Amino acid sequence: MPGFSSGGVGGGVGVPASAPPRPFRPSRYVPVSAATTFLVGSTSLFFCFTCPWLSEYFSCVIPIYVAVIFLFTLANFSMATFMDPGVFPRAEEDEDKEDDFRAPLYKTVEIKGIQVRMKWCATCRFYRPPRCSHCSVCDNCVEDFDHHCPWVNNCIGRRNYRHFFLFLLSLTTHIMNVFGFGLVYVLHHRQQLDTPHAVVTMVVMCVAGLFFFPVAGLTGFHMVLVARGRTTNEQVTGKFRGGVNPFTNGCTRNISHVLCSSQAPRYVGRSRSPQALDVQPPFLRPPLTEAQLEAKVLDNGIQNDRHSTRSKSSLDPTESQSADAEPPPPPKPELRYPGLPRADTEESSLLTEGPTTPSMYKYRPAFSSPGRNHTALTHPSKMIRGDSLDSPSPSILQSSRQPSYRSEPSSLDGTTVVGGGVGARRGGGDRGEGPGGPGGAAGVIPGGMSGYSLAGRSHTSYPSSLVLSTGGSHSSSLRSALAANNPLSTLQSEGTTDTSYKSLANQTPRNGSLSYDSLLTPSESPEFESAAHELSPQKPRAVFPSAGAAGQREGVSPGSPLQGYTSPFLSAQIAQQREGQLLQGSATFSSPHRAYLRAVSPPPPSASGAPEIQHLLQANHNSSSRGPRNLSSSPGGRSLEPPVSPPPRGLSLGKSQYHVGEAGPQHRPPRASGGGLVVGGGGAGGGQQAAHPPLPP
Amino acid sequence: MATHSLQDMRQQASVAAKVFIQRDYTNGTVCHFQTKFPSELESRINKQQFEETVRTLNNLYAEAEKLGSQSYIEGCLACLTAYIIFLCMETHYEKVLKKIAKYIQEQNEKIYAPQGLLLTDPIERGLRVIEVTIFEERSLTR
Repeated sequence: MPGFSSGGVGGGVGVPASAPPRPFRPSRYVPVSAATTFLVGSTSLFFCFTCPWLSEYFSCVIPIYVAVIFLFTLANFSMATFMDPGVFPRAEEDEDKEDDFRAPLYKTVEIKGIQVRMKWCATCRFYRPPRCSHCSVCDNCVEDFDHHCPWVNNCIGRRNYRHFFLFLLSLTTHIMNVFGFGLVYVLHHRQQLDTPHAVVTMVVMCVAGLFFFPVAGLTGFHMVLVARGRTTNEQVTGKFRGGVNPFTNGCTRNISHVLCSSQAPRYVGRSRSPQALDVQPPFLRPPLTEAQLEAKVLDNGIQNDRHSTRSKSSLDPTESQSADAEPPPPPKPELRYPGLPRADTEESSLLTEGPTTPSMYKYRPAFSSPGRNHTALTHPSKMIRGDSLDSPSPSILQSSRQPSYRSEPSSLDGTTVVGGGVGARRGGGDRGEGPGGPGGAAGVIPGGMSGYSLAGRSHTSYPSSLVLSTGGSHSSSLRSALAANNPLSTLQSEGTTDTSYKSLANQTPRNGSLSYDSLLTPSESPEFESAAHELSPQKPRAVFPSAGAAGQREGVSPGSPLQGYTSPFLSAQIAQQREGQLLQGSATFSSPHRAYLRAVSPPPPSASGAPEIQHLLQANHNSSSRGPRNLSSSPGGRSLEPPVSPPPRGLSLGKSQYHVGEAGPQHRPPRASGGGLVVGGGGAGGGQQAAHPPLPP
Repeated sequence: MATHSLQDMRQQASVAAKVFIQRDYTNGTVCHFQTKFPSELESRINKQQFEETVRTLNNLYAEAEKLGSQSYIEGCLACLTAYIIFLCMETHYEKVLKKIAKYIQEQNEKIYAPQGLLLTDPIERGLRVIEVTIFEERSLTR
């Protein structure tokens, strides 16, 4: 459900994003208290009632051994509970470029040849490093985020994963010890089972036996994860299913990295070194080289304007962990940009032609700027430019393209500059985010915009190719269709259709949990402004007006409410599909789009891509459901699923986990949420979320 | 802040811009910063010098994250003592971080401050960026 905050059963309303004085939520402490009670209580009973006899009858080594294991378990449990998992401090104001309205939601980096997306975190104000994810319970971005464990009431991340893993191992061993030695006791006291000692021993054995299966299952799951070099997050969201994991270094190296690497440092709460360095002029300057002098002459100081144009609003309502580093759609050939002019010329042309802004895209304070939308809109045109320079495009497009393109090279540098007083805009990031002006032809920037940072070799994600191919298509249809992508992206936090803008993401109520209601009532939303022209606004499902618009444009009726979203992997596949379709110059953009929107409901028969998409979804669903189950080492029901706690509500991952699994079931008549829980990522919620009611699908 | 009248005539430095050197993830999540020389610094500092600084930092971070004998021993010791050893001893990573902080301080003093730049220790930014602050002269007039 959109809009619900993080936290457990008793979760309250979201807190402000930037300064979390979090409300005290006692419900969060229930699982960890229960775990501690069971662990310490049962073990104490064991020591008091069973161990005396054991040490007499066998030797005192046994209680000592059990005590050592127990101590180790407790130490790792404490470390896992109290240690900072690797929280990133919030980025400083300066780091967030002034004009965050136009920066893309995603930046793509290449890791060992594989494209990985870094998502903008609206709460923490930076692009999340690979494998980092934002935990809505803790309201922090955590490095190498594994999962949020309710049993320790802490995130498991880079710093404490080792402790968590050792805790699991030692707890399994401890449970086996307690159960085993308790069994020995009981077997030796078959005739005296009514004594309190025997009764207590049997009770302890029951507790141990009860906890053994989920704990052992989880341990086995994590052993596989460690061997594969994956995090729970990645496993559960299926990021590398069928693909290559760029973060693995081989089984041995992975294991030694987890167990033997030096303790990573904490980032928050460090004592600041007193940097009392006084920087005083006069400043020395290095001698300018010839080339620099030449460049100086050519550069009319336009450089500072380079960061003009990428929209960064995001309609992504939640900080989906699944969307973070999943492989974006396959890279498009570099040929796409053969005809793109150099930055310099674009900059100068920007100066000469002001961008024109259609009235409907006038800036709206509530949502940073519709211009953002437009910059997104221009993105597609940018992409197109390389392909078909002679395709008819409005002059607006061209002018708008240039600035947005101009912003590219800076991103390529891998550095971002925040101009001090020059009104410099954010550089880098996505291409194709021209200034607001250009007309609808550009269309809403689909996710293509997103994730287009060029540190090294990066590639636009799917939407740009989408745009590319639809360069010549009817502008308004494209726009409306693409506009539909906006809410879609927010709902799904997937890269495929994001017209995602950082600024909109930054306006999420808190920690990334954005309710659909706040997202957009059509009157407020700039993104839907254009769509609204074509459709009657339908709150709260803002998605649907645009979806409907897209549909109507193409003569299709508005789709049913979007339920959940497809997995990142799937969306990549869909992206490829659509790209293929679109590149054929198909004007039926909305059909696959609609099919995509409706991915979780029976797709329309007309869309050629839809059956494939559905098939993909089912395949995804099946494989995702198979995955965790296989990893679970014990037979049995739901509780045996690898108990990974999904991020709490409000986090799309929580939804996505269920939806990844549920994407399939929802093709058929809706099932009980239990079914959704079992499969795929949903299963992850089984064990550890036992204390909490299942999330509604 | 009260200033002496003589200081009124002095030139002051103000922050003109900040350049952020991002992480280079091509080899995974190891801490490695991009060595590409940002164009904004072209007029402020020697390219080789800057790249040398970043390269040294990268090497230091690689040393910190290295899976060597020291980290093995440290890990074993920590397990054996139920992690109490962490109260007494500094981890290998922290030791290298101290080295890095000293190196940055030294670089700032010797090279960057005289040229109107200041490097910020990336650990303060969560090892995500190296922040280079560009100062500009600004004269006070009275």
